[in-house]
Amino acid sequence: MTFANPHEQLFYEALRIRRAEERIIEIYPTDRIQSPVHLSIGQEAIAVGVCHPLRIEDPLFGSYRSHAFFLAKGGSMRSMFAELYGKATGGSGGKAGSMHLTAPEVGFMGSSAVVASTIPNAVGAALAAQRRETGQVVVTVFGDGATEEGVYHESLNFAALHQLPVLFLCENNGLAVHSKLSDRQAYGICEHAATYGITTQRCREGWDFVRVNDLVGQAVEAIRRGDGPRFIECRTYRYQEHVGIGCDHDVGYRPRGPLEAWQANDPLLNEPALVEAFDPAIRDEIDDAVQFAESSPWPGPEQLLADVA
Amino acid sequence: MGVAYKIEEDQAQTTTYREALFRCMRGALADHPETFILGQGVDDHKGTFGSTVGLAEEFGAGRVMDSPLAEESMTGIGIGAALNGLYPIQTHIRADFALLAMNQIVNMAAKYKYMFGGRFEVPMLIRMVIGRSWGQGAQHSQSLQSLFAHVPGLTVIMPATSDSILETYPWIIENHRGPVISLEHRLLYDIAFRGDDARPENSPLSSRLLRRGKDVTIVATSIMVLEAKRAAEHLAETAGIEAEVIDLHCVSHPDRQMILDSVARTGRLIVADTSWQAYGVAAEISRIVCEHDPSILRAPIATLGMAPAPCPTAKTLEDLYYPTLRSLADTAARMVVGEEDHGVTLPEEASMADVYKRFKGPF
Ligand SMILES: Cc1ncc(C[n+]2csc(CCOP(=O)(O)OP(=O)(O)O)c2C)c(N)n1
Ligand SMILES: [Mg+2]
Repeated sequence: MTFANPHEQLFYEALRIRRAEERIIEIYPTDRIQSPVHLSIGQEAIAVGVCHPLRIEDPLFGSYRSHAFFLAKGGSMRSMFAELYGKATGGSGGKAGSMHLTAPEVGFMGSSAVVASTIPNAVGAALAAQRRETGQVVVTVFGDGATEEGVYHESLNFAALHQLPVLFLCENNGLAVHSKLSDRQAYGICEHAATYGITTQRCREGWDFVRVNDLVGQAVEAIRRGDGPRFIECRTYRYQEHVGIGCDHDVGYRPRGPLEAWQANDPLLNEPALVEAFDPAIRDEIDDAVQFAESSPWPGPEQLLADVA
Repeated sequence: MGVAYKIEEDQAQTTTYREALFRCMRGALADHPETFILGQGVDDHKGTFGSTVGLAEEFGAGRVMDSPLAEESMTGIGIGAALNGLYPIQTHIRADFALLAMNQIVNMAAKYKYMFGGRFEVPMLIRMVIGRSWGQGAQHSQSLQSLFAHVPGLTVIMPATSDSILETYPWIIENHRGPVISLEHRLLYDIAFRGDDARPENSPLSSRLLRRGKDVTIVATSIMVLEAKRAAEHLAETAGIEAEVIDLHCVSHPDRQMILDSVARTGRLIVADTSWQAYGVAAEISRIVCEHDPSILRAPIATLGMAPAPCPTAKTLEDLYYPTLRSLADTAARMVVGEEDHGVTLPEEASMADVYKRFKGPF
């Protein structure tokens, strides 16, 4: 696939993620995907904007909400669907499911279901990168809720103290499950991170993959130069429920207004010509991946005790 | 077979636990450029009870890193460093403090390999010191081996002698690609060992048969291995009772066959652990024997461990809290003679701390 400009390329990648998750929504009621899914629909622009400026060997650590980052970092569609199906051909041989996607071959490292738990792992990988002079920039992606965990603070401190090559990337969707940020936090996320002496930037237009890409590109360049850690907070909006495939604007904890405002800016909903141009290739890739997952074997009993210690 | 340790004599031919640790730490840094030590105070003048002293000066602050007071992230950082090509050696001057790192140890280090289908390895060594005596109290004395050994994905060792350290640490660092937790007993640090125990034939991540005996098998951990050997010597000399002593060493992966063969020979089993008995090493070794064949037992299993309470600081209570040489010898004599009133003279020694601990506190 060739693209006329970066906007089109990022658009394609974001659309690919959205269509993949929409396919998950279609398949889910059949119970062929028996894995808790945390969808990124509405948040894809961040994943593609962050991953585009990265090199393959730059490790990125994510959370349970990682379909978007897995794909944006270069993880294979087949590997992801097979993993969601629990098949032996999945990226982790069917032992990981949706919440622990990984693709180390493209630098997509651990993703964990325990909030904030991969943040120090990313910092440690950055310590190794610095020590071994690998030239890698490590990225840790986490939600606004994760910034409430103690280990997040510990990790910021260590990264700043040792000037490690790590980008802290906060996807602020304003929610932790159903709790809104203002009910949970007495601090400003960027203001707080800045107290460690880390250069912070805020992107309010989290739908705008080009803007995210530019911001992250500059930050990554600075980090690679040896300027130490950087911090970027991207505002974003989660369209679906926290976990699962449904919509939940009717249950009373959040109003519809912000959803509509966000959707009015969402490129994937407002550029039908690009959608029309890109959809067929994307559909083919997803069809192929689903077919692959369906026809793949289950892991055998010999896998039960393989790779324990 | 003689006692394999000496407290006062033979200094020239002996190695203290502390020296063994120091040699391994220095050797790791010198022989393996990917290693680094990360822990609170590892670069200070006391150097983790002497086990890292001077290494920061020799190898640089980047190889021997003082850590912020942040146990969870330090463990997580160790994991991340291991994922990206380094070999972290981490220290906790008390095992109690590692409880703050439980999330990273249990949810991350133990899971990275399996959860991602074998795509990652987390080679790292986490050293934790078990405190005892001189008023360590409830939060500086816990012996947490069974918490860790309970979790698949972790390898847990309790080196009982200098030899164990010298055989196991370099081997782990060179050959083992997963997380290892080593529980080092503070009272062992000052003990000089002669080093004439039989060496394990294969991987040192296993158990060791330290003394042969026909009457009773004592499976022991850490400092209780020393007590078991002293009890065995006493029983042999005073009553002709021959105890077989197994140093469990690798708590998470004990040598089941060694234990079962031994108990099949002696027909009797005592488990002497440094921790609480419930749900612990004592329970696990009993499980191994009972699930295999309880009929190899001629008498009910006996277990010794800490009293089922947090550790008190008053010496009168602390002396009651821990199993002793005397209680171990008494248990063995009762079991072998088959009567409460066994008539065997018991060793005259109340407090292990008085015997082993050579400095006067505080830590
Ligand atoms: C340590 C921990 N506590 C609680 C949970 C339950 N939980 C799962 S997701 C989540 C919300 C996290 O919010 P945020 O970090 O903002 O990420 P988002 O889901 O919004 O992407 C919570 C509380 C968990 N998985 N781990
Ligand atoms: Mg959130």
